[in-house]
Amino acid sequence: MSRYAVNSLLYQLKKDPAFRARFVADPAAAIAEADLTDAERAAFVARDMRRINELGGYLHLVMSIPGLAAHAQPRRTR
Amino acid sequence: MGKIVFAAAMSHVLDPEYYERACGVTGRQKVEAAMREIAAMGTRLAATTADALVVVADDHLNAFSFTCVPAICVRIGRTVPRMSQDHAEAFDRVLEHMPTIYPLHEALAGAVLEQGVAAGFDLALSWEAPVDHAFLSPVNTLHGTRPIPPLVPIWVNCFVAPQPTARRCFAFGQHLARVVAASPWRVGIIATGGLSHFPELSLARVGETDTVFDRRLIHWIERGEHEPLLDLTGDELHKSGSHEFLNWMVLLGAVTPARALVRYFGELPRINLAAVEWSLG
Repeated sequence: MSRYAVNSLLYQLKKDPAFRARFVADPAAAIAEADLTDAERAAFVARDMRRINELGGYLHLVMSIPGLAAHAQPRRTR
Repeated sequence: MGKIVFAAAMSHVLDPEYYERACGVTGRQKVEAAMREIAAMGTRLAATTADALVVVADDHLNAFSFTCVPAICVRIGRTVPRMSQDHAEAFDRVLEHMPTIYPLHEALAGAVLEQGVAAGFDLALSWEAPVDHAFLSPVNTLHGTRPIPPLVPIWVNCFVAPQPTARRCFAFGQHLARVVAASPWRVGIIATGGLSHFPELSLARVGETDTVFDRRLIHWIERGEHEPLLDLTGDELHKSGSHEFLNWMVLLGAVTPARALVRYFGELPRINLAAVEWSLG
């Protein structure tokens, strides 16, 4: 798992509106140069934030990227 | 001789709209109840006419990114800006209506940093890092329309493993108390975040909390029994979703053995909201 690459990409998506726009237009092209595993690349291309989180993406990033943020539903207390 | 004149800890997304979106009407009602208690605490803080307010909080990968993630960082300088975020989502939206620049107590921040390094704390420093909701939601809720005193923002790395230990955070809080005692200033201190939410930082587990764990923490802080808390492990905090209790550990070190007064504790599916004040005598 390339934890740094996943999170660096998430951070760039959050903080760089121009990069985010390129990603929204063509995810595969936008991340072509990123050092990702096949699974990580597939998750980004699918914009699957839950999968990205499972692969090591920090929760606060996957929940706060403008326009791409995961919006989890309440579950339960214990 | 200086003195800590106010100490409190509280949740740090203090926004009814956020909780209504996340938890429905009950979420709104509970955060409004917490905010009322925090505003009342702010009235008591204002009555102390504190010279400075130390704010111990965490970064949500906003200020530090992956260039560097300091274990503990002291913000120095004369002012500190609010974080900016285009098209803010979720907890970032909480910031939008808040002032964009805040005064910083340069002399106290410098003393915490310089005396800390001299005492063996390898502190990071920043002149430029902005502060996010973890700092500003509590600060603005405490102060309302009153002037905000000069801040001393201190970050604790609560989320990016390996985090500093609970014991180390407590020791750093004791350092803060020594610095204040040797200073000429009357100082307030708050710690923010929590309680239990986002266990294991897993999106699949957002919506779970560990109330049993939180009640254990509260049991100890109400009694001023801080020794058991020193042995809290990173694994315990991660699994329970109480990562941000490390901020509280700093405050506990600063006020130990004072007892906590729980002003508000409210369970929600997403998070256990809390507002706690210490009786400093």
